[in-house]
Amino acid sequence: MGAGLSAEEMQKSYLKIFGALMVFTLLTIIAAKFVHFPESWGGLSTTLHVTIGLIIAVAKAWMVVYVFMHIKFDNPYIRVFIYIPLFLFSVLVFALTVLGGPTL
Amino acid sequence: MSSALSLAHEPVTGIRHGKLGMWIFLASEVMFFSGFFTAFIILRNTNLPVFAHGASELNWQLAALNTVNLIVSSLTMAMAILSLEHGNKSRFQLYMGITFLCACGFLVIKYIEYTTKFSHGIYPGTSSFFGLYFTMTGFHAMHVIGGMIPIGWMLAKSFTKRGYRDWERVEILGLYWHFVDLVWIFLFPILYLIF
Repeated sequence: MGAGLSAEEMQKSYLKIFGALMVFTLLTIIAAKFVHFPESWGGLSTTLHVTIGLIIAVAKAWMVVYVFMHIKFDNPYIRVFIYIPLFLFSVLVFALTVLGGPTL
Repeated sequence: MSSALSLAHEPVTGIRHGKLGMWIFLASEVMFFSGFFTAFIILRNTNLPVFAHGASELNWQLAALNTVNLIVSSLTMAMAILSLEHGNKSRFQLYMGITFLCACGFLVIKYIEYTTKFSHGIYPGTSSFFGLYFTMTGFHAMHVIGGMIPIGWMLAKSFTKRGYRDWERVEILGLYWHFVDLVWIFLFPILYLIF
């Protein structure tokens, strides 16, 4: 494991991802709880909040998979098992942005 | 005394059998949770006011604390594997111990959240939102408990067994543990934040 990377290099990439995950968590909270779009935007405001939250979640998920779960360092052969379900799931959650229609 | 089967490399892919097995299991876990997410998406998109009201009753600050808990435990798990691979057993025990404590902290916070809901008269049958909230976070918490058992077991083994260096097995456990973090990464914004 490690694709020839030293322990120090591995540790550095782990810490980088850890920092990014923390920053993204903070960003998603700020975007959801402290950023308010104008009232007049109506349903669009919800859609925007959902979209921002999901983009950040998907980015965090791929970072965890790529570095913490060693896809970056592993045999590329295994990637197909992982990228397909994760991609499909990443697409699925964006169904949350499909709002609107006469019932709203 | 590690099992030859779980550590043997598959000749074509070069991936250990145990690891490949864990990945296939995790792919099935994605399907398991996708059912809940799909139910959530459809019910939410057709009952937005119910879901928005339900989400407003949740304590997102506690959930944010739990997010930090799981991110820290993911880092320490990765560091534990790295330490053991390089033969540093005491470091491994430190990181693995922190991982275990973070998991305990996660469950304590979850317990506080649940009991607060119950004391406010909110139960899984209260609304479709809370039905899904309790089901999704409940199954997720069960996965946390399910991860704590082998984490505790491997940690205990590292104390009792001389020359313990079974890092490849811990790496497989690590995959599962990061998956638990992954599920929470999606649960946190969807349940607590986006309304």
